[in-house]
Parts: sequence; structure tokens; C-alpha cells
Amino acid sequence: MEEKEQAKTTANKGTEAARQIRSLVKNIYKSAHEAKAAGKKVAYFMVGSQYDEIVRAMDIVPLPTENYAGLCAAKRDMDRFLLKAEEDGYSQVLCSYARIGLGFDSLRKEMGGIPENSPDGGMPLPDMMLGSSAACDPRFKWYQATARYMEAPTYSIDIVAPPADDNLQEVRDYYIKYQKDQLQGLIAFLEAQTGKKMDKERLWETIRLGDKAWQLWYDIDRLRVAAPSPMPSQDHFSVMVAAYYYSGTQIAVDFYQRLYEEVKYKAENKIGVIPDEKYRVLYGGGLPPWHTLWIFNYFESFGAVCVIENMYRGYDPVEVPAHVQDPVEYLAWRTFLRLTQRHEQARARSGSPAVERLLEMIRDYAIDGVVFHACRSCRANTIGQVHTKNILGKFTNIPMIQLVSDMVDLRDYSEAQWKAQITAFIEALAGRRTAA
Amino acid sequence: MTASAQLDILYEQRGKRAKELRKTGKKVIGYFCCFVPEEIITALDMVPYRIQGSQSDPIDQADASLEPMTCPFARSCYNMALKGDYDFLDGLVATHSCDTIERMYPIWLHNKPSPFNHLINVPHMTGPSSAEFYRQELIYFIKKLEEWSGRKLDQEKLRDAIKLSNERRALLRGLYELRKADPPLVSGTEITKMLVAGMGIPTAEHIDLIQKFSAEVKERPRSGQQKWPRLFIWGNEIDDIAFIKLIEESGAHVVMDDLCTGSRFFWEDVPETPDPLEGIAVRYIRTHCPRSIDLQITDRRKDLENRYAYIKQYVQEWGVHGAVFYIVRYCDTCELEGPDLREYLNGMKLPVLMIEDDYSVSTIGQLRTRIQAFLEMIA
Amino acid sequence: MPFAGIDIGSTMTKVVIVDRDETVLSAIIGPTGVEHRHLALKVMQEAIAQSNLTIGQIDFIVATGYGRINVPFADKQVTEITCHARGIRALFPAARIIIDIGGQDSKGIKLDSEGKVANFIMNDKCAAGTGRFLEVIAETLGVPLADMGKISLTAKEYVKISNTCTVFAEHEVTSRLAEGAKIPEIIAGLHQSIAGRVVNMVRHLGIEKEVVVTGGGAKNIGLVKAIEDKVGSPVLVPPEPFLTGALGAALLGRSFIDRGLTPDHERRLESVTFFQ
Repeated sequence: MEEKEQAKTTANKGTEAARQIRSLVKNIYKSAHEAKAAGKKVAYFMVGSQYDEIVRAMDIVPLPTENYAGLCAAKRDMDRFLLKAEEDGYSQVLCSYARIGLGFDSLRKEMGGIPENSPDGGMPLPDMMLGSSAACDPRFKWYQATARYMEAPTYSIDIVAPPADDNLQEVRDYYIKYQKDQLQGLIAFLEAQTGKKMDKERLWETIRLGDKAWQLWYDIDRLRVAAPSPMPSQDHFSVMVAAYYYSGTQIAVDFYQRLYEEVKYKAENKIGVIPDEKYRVLYGGGLPPWHTLWIFNYFESFGAVCVIENMYRGYDPVEVPAHVQDPVEYLAWRTFLRLTQRHEQARARSGSPAVERLLEMIRDYAIDGVVFHACRSCRANTIGQVHTKNILGKFTNIPMIQLVSDMVDLRDYSEAQWKAQITAFIEALAGRRTAA
Repeated sequence: MTASAQLDILYEQRGKRAKELRKTGKKVIGYFCCFVPEEIITALDMVPYRIQGSQSDPIDQADASLEPMTCPFARSCYNMALKGDYDFLDGLVATHSCDTIERMYPIWLHNKPSPFNHLINVPHMTGPSSAEFYRQELIYFIKKLEEWSGRKLDQEKLRDAIKLSNERRALLRGLYELRKADPPLVSGTEITKMLVAGMGIPTAEHIDLIQKFSAEVKERPRSGQQKWPRLFIWGNEIDDIAFIKLIEESGAHVVMDDLCTGSRFFWEDVPETPDPLEGIAVRYIRTHCPRSIDLQITDRRKDLENRYAYIKQYVQEWGVHGAVFYIVRYCDTCELEGPDLREYLNGMKLPVLMIEDDYSVSTIGQLRTRIQAFLEMIA
Repeated sequence: MPFAGIDIGSTMTKVVIVDRDETVLSAIIGPTGVEHRHLALKVMQEAIAQSNLTIGQIDFIVATGYGRINVPFADKQVTEITCHARGIRALFPAARIIIDIGGQDSKGIKLDSEGKVANFIMNDKCAAGTGRFLEVIAETLGVPLADMGKISLTAKEYVKISNTCTVFAEHEVTSRLAEGAKIPEIIAGLHQSIAGRVVNMVRHLGIEKEVVVTGGGAKNIGLVKAIEDKVGSPVLVPPEPFLTGALGAALLGRSFIDRGLTPDHERRLESVTFFQ
């Protein structure tokens, strides 16, 4: 029996630039296939692992497996991969990105080739897999498990950040030293895999490009304080592709430059995402619902625009001390500064760096309400949301809601429940407006 | 009082001894996980107390500040803290063992802080630079503990604490040796009680208890029990006898384990190095836990051997017929690890029952069917 | 030399009595009900009466099912996994995979070439993938549970139901109805959903022919067809899916006697006292 046609999943974007991201995403996988054909090295790659510029400087093409999972969800073609992973013994509550990745690799092995009609041509077999402990445990366990489906060597690095209640002065030096050692280890591995030595000048070049892209991204987000909002959250979830998958390349810089100009124009000319912006919402945290991104348009149908997010652009630009002359040490410093950006502020006030950032956003972006998304299979980005809400609530009484589903697994999503929650949220926002 | 009776009391009335000691002026430092060197706490003349959960108490208060899609063991511990069950702790020492504990620490700290609170950032990688980082983290931990307590850590006392803990380790290994007999001289249920009893009392007192108990075991008449299937348990925290008892009542002997409340925490001694902290760092970072990983994996077969050769040894030396994995739901680490270990053990022709459970006694009925069906299958 | 098996399930209690050459002497199905203590006894008594025997003439009684613990008139208790395997093996010697969809749980059982249980998997934590799921939705749709199967077969396409949580799925069904989906298409979608979940669970074991579907779910022709869709080949269904557990239990009694086991406690024909 045939399945009936399904509804679409993607959102209408606010900016032209965001609409162009689709081709950048396609290009990730296209480049990987081309690289393989040309005998270049391709690596499975974890986002936000602070090693992007290193990988680019070694001319290795990254295959971001988490992105691929998100892509499959957006195209609603993730079930076959989820089911295959579960068939192989992986639990249903395990990170759904990992399940999709493992399922894809398992099917690829079983079929002796890329599964038919895989989104964007699927992922070719990598030459190596680069795990990390940045953000969560699955990110180094996943590739260890993947080894059962292929012969590629795996290398993992630790990305460390001290807990918010540590005294940074006392721990900084050994944290940075360890981080540097970890990154050096990765470089040595990549040199062995590629047969080439790391060119320090090339590394500085990619670092400068990476920094420039992130700086531009920050500048763009600063423009978004404008009312009406010139760029909504659903665009953020698209445009993060440049910084997350193209850091260290000119492509990311060019992209953000274009986006910057567009957003600046809109901000200066008061061109909003929707004609009648009533409420400004902060997307406070949690991976986006890739399976149902049009939910942002649903908010917009009530006049509520998600104007900024505490999500992918997780830190503002940092300034590494000028005395740091070695590029790997620079990266170690940059990692430490990025990941402890609001620690001292938190120690002085709320105790939570996330809350500090959210309070800044609420103030700068004139926020009326906060939305969180809890994903059942992502402990990393979900645990702490209720806590954050509780602490935020001590400093502000704007309405906040927590929507629950999963980032890619549709089985945890209830449209009816979400619509009910969002409607109630809007009523709360409206209520405050009339009361004011 | 017999050691068995003492054991029962310590198992049932957790925290009682620690509270008694506290009244005499001792500081009780609560901690999670095998990665906290309790020798450091002992050497500062404090009582290390390994935090446990409660499988029978419903989790009724944690939801207000901690999401439900979290390790239920950790949630249970946190719930107990919120209810005041851990008010007797002077210190809370957590580790970056896993995503859940790492993220739960600031929440616990905010809602139920102890006088002393600290998180040891244990590295996930296990190479030399990681051991060095871990050592630095321990130095920082010691510094914070010294500042708070007003005491200085004496190197001689640390060496003594290491010797003492090694003595305990040897005694526990000795107890496990008694499980090699067929049928084993000590049941899995008794072992669990002994391990839990040790979590809340000073190392020296645990040593006395193990010695007394071992002597009693050797004296008691062999029960003439039937020879049942011999099982190996793999998992994390089992601090309640319910599950082990269920298996043993279904007609099997639990003869060996790789649990963090079991062999994982005591199997290897701390080498007595001139700088005691070095021995500690090197030994603790090597703890066999799925949350740790080798930097580089080149050959999968070799990787599996590296990770599990010690389990093969357990299985062979303890004459094991089947393995039961007890994986707590939402543990990403074990859920990614389980299938690999199962493959390895199946390769040794060892049948495996993989259970994913909620750390709660309410599921006992369902577990009974699975265990029984597994035993019927391997008979 | 008759043998008896009693399968005390969450909704039904089944008794099968066989004689030495495996002929069925009697087979009774009764509701377990809330007062399962008396009813299990009643069903046992009915079965004995129907076969013109007395309790003392039965050589071995095996109890299985959710209520198998502490049955005063049973000689041994064995899990339903082992019993279904034995029962299905007797009916279909070529069976390798058994899919049992019960009222409150679903199971997959793998048999080796000798008919012994080689592996098994269970879902007993979640209603979706069980008869309960269908019951809830049948009520929402206002359709009798027994008709769900044949109604679903009239649909040409199925509406995908994504939610596995029964409560969420109910909402989803209501939304789809509001959007104009037809009832047969929705029921077909539910069958696809359950079949998908169950077959996926069973795939852990490695699917091999012959595949047998049993339990209450086997009586739903739409669900069986959906399972065939997912498995990719026809499946076998026993003529009396509710009885395979009790049948297997009775046959196991014979194996116990053959192995020299004797009833190890005094058999008392009285109410079952408690469960787990």
C-alpha cells in the first residue's frame, strides 16, 4: 500500500542570503564526492570542535555527519536510517543524529554503496573520522561505534572548559596547555594520514578567515537589535552553515559579507520579516526542530517573530593575547576564551553563563518572551533548560515556554500539543501587552 | 554481631555511620563516580561518601529543576538531595564523568549546595597529556579542599591512604576469588551489600568488615546448592540488591561484574610512586569506563581487544556462561558501547541479554520475564 | 498421559490439555479479569471437565504468561517466550521467527534449526506496538476493534501516523480526520505504524523464514498484511493465535517428564494466590 503525500517541513526565510544556504549545503556533499574522486582526503567531522581551521589547512574535506542527519530530517527521509540503527541494537533514546549516521553507514555497508535516493547524494566513505568531546559524549563514542561499518581510522580530541564555579585564573594555564596538546595530537594524526606536514602559515591564514567569518556573524547579529526584526531565527538555523561547515574558507567570509549588507539594508530601512511585528521572541536554547522548521512561520502568523537565539553562534568574538605567536596555541587560547566568555560575570551574578547571555539578549533585543526546545535524545542541549528558566525567572518575568520533541526523530513530536502551547504563549504575551 | 548482620545494617541504613562520624566532628564528603580518588579525602582526615540513589523512592521533586530525559540514577540522587536526604554531607564532589552529571552539577549546586562543592573535570581521552591534565585538576581539587577545610594535605598521609585503599582493593579481590568456586561461596547479592556498605564508611572500617566477613564465609558450610548458570553483569551503578536478587532467585549465580559500583572501582591498585599524586592520576585515568576513549583507533579488531580483553579474562577465570548488560535508559555512553561489547562477547560464544531499564523497582516484573527467558534459553 | 498448559495473560487465560501424541484434548479461553485468582482456577476446571479428566490424572502442568508465578496447581512455570516457541514449532516446524502481538506487549522470538529459542526481544514498556494502541484508537474512531482489520483493507492508501506515544497518536488521528482523511486510510496507517515498530524490533534478531505471527494481533487481517509488507514476504498465522502459549506450555510438560523431572511440589486445585 502506498503512503499518502506529506506536508512540507521547511520554513519561509526572511533573508535572500538564507535562501542561498541550500546550495552551500548541497556543496558540502558534492565537494566530498568530488574529493574522493580526485583522491583527496575526506573526514567525518563534528561541528563546533574548534578544529575546523586545522582540517581546512590540511586540505581535508569535512563531512559533517550531524548536519547530514539534520538534512535527512528536513527532507523527512530519516526513518530508514533510524530504523536500521535500532535494528542493529542502538537504543531509541540515543542521540538521533548518531542513530541516523549509524543507520546510514550500516545501510551503506549492507548495500555495498550509497542507499538509493539518499538526500543530496548521500555521504561517501570517509578516509578518517575526527571525533571530539566538545559539547557532548556521543561525539566521540559515535565514531568509535561507526568503526564496525567501515575501515577508516578514528582520532578524537578533548575540548575542555572549566565549570562555571572554577576560578579561571587558577586553572587557565593548564587548560590551555592541555588544549594545545590535544590539538597538536590531531595535527600529528592528520599529517600521518595525508603524508603532508602542516604549513603554519596556511594555518594562520585559515584561522584569520575563520575569525573573520565569526566576527561578521557577530556583527550581523548586532544589527538584529533593530525593530522590526530584519532577520528571524529560522534564517539563523540556515546561515550557521557557513560558520559551522566552512570556517577557515573564503566562502564563509563572502557569505556573511553578503548577509551583513542585506541585514544592514533592512535594518536601516525598517524592512521587517513580517509587516506587522507585534512580539519579539528569543529562542533561548535547544537544537532546532529540523523536522518542522515551519513552526517559526506559525509563530509569525500571530505576529511573533523569533528575533535572536542563544544557539549556534554560541560565543562572541574573543581577543587572544598578542604574545601568542604559535597558531596552535592561538587556537587553544581561543577555545578557552570562547568557552569561558561569561564565566566571571556568572560568578558575580546569576551563577549561570547561559542566563547571563540570555539576560543581555533580552535587554538588547527588547524581548517579550522566550522559547526553549527540549529534545528527547539530546542531553547536551536539553539538560539545564528548566534550570535556566528558573534562574532567568528571578531576573525577569517575561513569559517562557519549553516545547518538547526531538531534533530529528518525528516520533516524539506532537503538532497538536505544540500548537496549543504556542497559542497559550501568545495569549500570555498579548496579556502583558494590554496590561502594560 | 556477625559480619553478615553488620552488612545488612550498613546496607539498609545508609548514611547512619557517616552521620555518627559527623557528630564526632568529622567532615563527610559526598562524591560520584570511580574517578574521584577517595584517598585524597581520607588523607585529609575526612570521610568519603559515595552518593547513591534510591530505587524505591519515586522521583517527585527533581522535575521542577531537572529534565526527565536524564540518567535516572543521577536524577534519583538529586531527588534525594532535594528531599534533604543528603543534608548530612559537608561536601559534594562531582566529576565530568558524563553529560548528565556534568550538567546536573550546577543545578544541584544551585538548589542544594553543600558547604563544599567542586566538579573535577576528568578528561575523556586517556593519553599522556590527558593524564597530566587530570593530575592538574586533582591539584586544583586538593587546593580547593585545603582552602575550605583549613587543612594541608600531608604527602605521608596520602601515601598511607593509598596503602590503605590498596589493602581494601586486595581484600575485595580476595572476596571475588571466592566466587570462582562452583557454586560460588559468596552470592552476588551479598557482594552488592558489601560494596554498598563500603560506600558510606571509612576505608579502615570497610577493611575490618571485609576481613570478618571473608573469615565467616570460609567457615560456613558449603550449601550443597545446585549448579546453576553462572552470569557476568556489565553496567554502571547498581546500588540496590533488587536486580541481582531477581537473577539469583530465578536460578542463576551472579559470579562476576564490570560495574562502576563493582570491580571497576577497585580492581587495580594505585602504584606507590614517590609522588603519590602521580600514581593516583595514572591509575584513576585508566579506569575501564565507556566514557573514556583512546585517542586513536586504527584497527577495530585491535580496538575491541584493547577495550575488552580484561572482560575476556573475567569470563574465562570465573567460568561464565552468559552476560547480562544492565544499561540505564538515557545513558548515551553505554547505549553506544553495548552493541560493541555484545559483538565481542558473542564472538567468544557467550550469550548476552541486553537490558535497558529505568533504575526503579517498578519494572521488576518485566525484568523477571526477560531474565527467566534468558536462563531458559542458555540452559 | 495427558499434559496441561495454562497461559495466564493480562486479558485472557488459556488452557490447553494434550495427550502424549500431542492431540489436543481440550482448549479453553476465558477472560482473566481483575479477579484473576478465581478465574484462572475456573478456566482450569472447565478445561479438565471438558476433557473428562481429574486434576490428578494430568502428568504435568506448566504455567506461563504474566500470571504464571505461584500457581498452586502448576508443577513448573516457564516464560511465554519459551512456551510460544514450543507451541509454534509444533504447528509450523519450519518456523524461525515468531512475532507475538499481545494486548499489552509484543515480542520477537528467534528459533534455531532445532526449534530452541536462540534469541528474543520484548517491548513491554510502551503501549504503541501492542493491542492496547489499537484499542485506544478504535475507540477514538468509534469503530469496533474486531472490524479494524477488514475496514483497513478497503483503503487504497494509508495516512502516515508518526507518533508512537498512544496519547499523541490520538491527537494526530483527530487532526488527520479534521483535515479530511478517511477512516480506512487512518486505520491502515495505524497498522503500518504498529507493524513498523514491531518488525523493526524483531529485526534485531535477524529475520529468517518462516515468519509466524501470533497473539491477539494475528487476528487482525489488516495488521498481518502490514507486517507482511514490512517483512517483505508472506507470514504464517496459526489457526488459534491465542492458544499457542498454552499449547507450548503443555508440550513442555511432556519434555520435562521425558527428562525425568517430576512435579516438585504438591499440587493444589485452589485459587491462584498472587502474581509477582
